[in-house]
Amino acid sequence: MAQEPEIIHVAARNGVKLVRVRADAILSEADVEAFGRGLLALAEMPGQRVVLSFLGVHHLTSLVLGKLIHMHKRLAESGGELRLADIDPHIYEVFAITHLDRLFQIYEREEEAVASFTGGAEA
Amino acid sequence: MPANAPESDNGMAWIEKQLPTRLETIREAEMEVVNRLESLGYNEDICFAVRLAFEEAIVNAMKHGNRMDPDRHVLLAYRASPERVEIRVRDEGDGFDPCGIPDPTADENLRKPCGRGIMLMRSYMDEVSYSSSGTEVLMVKYRHP
Repeated sequence: MAQEPEIIHVAARNGVKLVRVRADAILSEADVEAFGRGLLALAEMPGQRVVLSFLGVHHLTSLVLGKLIHMHKRLAESGGELRLADIDPHIYEVFAITHLDRLFQIYEREEEAVASFTGGAEA
Repeated sequence: MPANAPESDNGMAWIEKQLPTRLETIREAEMEVVNRLESLGYNEDICFAVRLAFEEAIVNAMKHGNRMDPDRHVLLAYRASPERVEIRVRDEGDGFDPCGIPDPTADENLRKPCGRGIMLMRSYMDEVSYSSSGTEVLMVKYRHP
């Protein structure tokens, strides 16, 4: 079976899962599906605290927003939480237009998002 | 030629494409439109807006219009001048009532994973209109609205 290309990269930092999206990984619709599967796999363990960094991502669509909402819901159901960081100004505008900036906690940088979980510096 | 469209407007000829209902075909068409806008000197904000609205329209046509039926197609037509870009997307589905789409920003809908495409199209384009059958959308973006 062909191996799926890496859509997201996951690292652990102070008990927080730090997820970085490959810059061009969510440009094709097929990749969006793989992106969603990767996120949901992270939510399988209960109580996961996840920071998703969009560093280098300059385009997304409502399909990606749907995957984030699904991930957010799944994590909340298992006692975890999703926080977002490093969002390009154009993409932040998409969150604002759709009012999803009310649903997600969004931080300027991934360090701030991780610290918000670990009691370090605040955003 | 899109329905009810003039052959040309100030020399802007329509460029037409017929896309199979496969999501992976979107990017090539999308980049063709964006490259055309960039060659006309449109700024990054406008290119982002048109690209987003374009993709939302095509995804809607394939998923909700054609219901991902590989035997159906999406008909795309666009034309661009230094002043504006127009995009028409038509599916081969049964049509829909765009007024019947719930507000995705309402509190009760905020956690629903879909339903934001039309809102984004309307937010990022200057004009969005649907044919009476609900199978074709026309979107216009002006360089200086």
